[in-house]
Amino acid sequence: MTHSLHRTGKINDLKSDYIILAMLAAGINDKYPDAKQKLLRVAEILNQNNPVNIIPKPAWKISPVITATFIDIEMVKNVIQTLIQEDLGVSIVISGLISEIQEAVKETGLKMHTIHLSLGTFGRKELLPSEEILEITTMCGHHCVSPQSVKYYVELIKSGKISVENAAKKLSKPCVCGIFNPTRAIALLNKLSGIFS
Amino acid sequence: MEIKADLCIGCGQCVIICPVQAIKLIDNIAVIDKTLCVECSICKRNADCLVNAIRSRRLKWPRVIRSPFSDVISTHKLTGIPGRGTEEMKTNDVTNRFGVDEIGFSIEIGRPGVGTHLGNIELFTTKLTSIGVNFERESPVSALLIDDSGHIKKDIKEERVLSAIIEFKVPLNKAILVLQAIKQIEKTIDTVFTVGVISQVMKNGAIPILDLLTQQGFSVRPNAKVNIGLGKV
Ligand code: SF4
Ligand code: SF4
Repeated sequence: MTHSLHRTGKINDLKSDYIILAMLAAGINDKYPDAKQKLLRVAEILNQNNPVNIIPKPAWKISPVITATFIDIEMVKNVIQTLIQEDLGVSIVISGLISEIQEAVKETGLKMHTIHLSLGTFGRKELLPSEEILEITTMCGHHCVSPQSVKYYVELIKSGKISVENAAKKLSKPCVCGIFNPTRAIALLNKLSGIFS
Repeated sequence: MEIKADLCIGCGQCVIICPVQAIKLIDNIAVIDKTLCVECSICKRNADCLVNAIRSRRLKWPRVIRSPFSDVISTHKLTGIPGRGTEEMKTNDVTNRFGVDEIGFSIEIGRPGVGTHLGNIELFTTKLTSIGVNFERESPVSALLIDDSGHIKKDIKEERVLSAIIEFKVPLNKAILVLQAIKQIEKTIDTVFTVGVISQVMKNGAIPILDLLTQQGFSVRPNAKVNIGLGKV
């Protein structure tokens, strides 16, 4: 599941786009009697720190992975601090700008353990939609958000048939992991529909 | 997936939502191109079809293989994880799956959003096998391999999926061979693919693979996934 890895976008946009993912290691620390409780506690901590999206609550108990999306590195730091205090032993992965994560980790007294770098996209890139559309569609790494739905909602916004906020909500619906960032989508849709350039 | 033509009122919502543009309106009725459809179920879950015309079909072999590589809700029997990959570096602070001096690779064929036929897996697996790569055993792609040369079952090669991830690790000194193979395959493949590289971060903050990536002409995106070392055995 490298689903939050290859998000595209300019550095300024990516400054408001972080995903925190929590997971236990199969057959190692997921076999303890309190393992599920610990993962649920991480979900609560994520939820208490104002995520703009989070894996739906009914999935918390059954999913081996908990994911949430934040728009501010300060919120990410708050989450890290609480996790350090509670010492739950659950593996935590943060996805976002390396420079910002590096700083956040340093400030909270931790060190980066392992990094998964993105070298980007290769091959027949002429088959891809425009860069602006990819910035929205790559926010669902399983690619459940279609490029033509972005174009469709941009046209509806332009003709005043839907608000930008509602369009962002509709676009985030197919992403079941809670890693599509609707706040960032609003900014990108505003740009695409010419409301703000 | 199939659409009941007698029920469809031609609203076009499923056409908009299909990630691989497999649905078209023909005479105001939605029709699925079965060759293009990757069985992701996104139309059924998200088109909000007012007349409930979108129906799942019981899929037969080999078509049934499309779903776990495309439908995010579908859990691979092998990994137990919904989605197309494994735990990879997410729990590396506990598993040490990627040790110091080891480099992990995740090559996702068909991503972002273009899709692929499974036959493309062989372009990578045969080449990588020839340079001594061992694939992550728990990866769904590894379950498709039928021999030690990196071939996959013949009858699934034409099956289209949203994406398939090849995961493996190599010693740092072999990473150059993988990077060279990626450059070669890029020239012949008929779709897109993404490449991810996994490395432990040294105590002084250094990431040993970075110099090699630059030397080989690869650029690294400014955003990444970072395991912050809070996991405990
Ligand atoms: S959403 Fe339903 S009614 Fe609308 S075009 Fe698709 S199948 Fe037909
Ligand atoms: S199952 Fe997926 S690929 Fe097939 S028609 Fe529906 S949305 Fe398109």
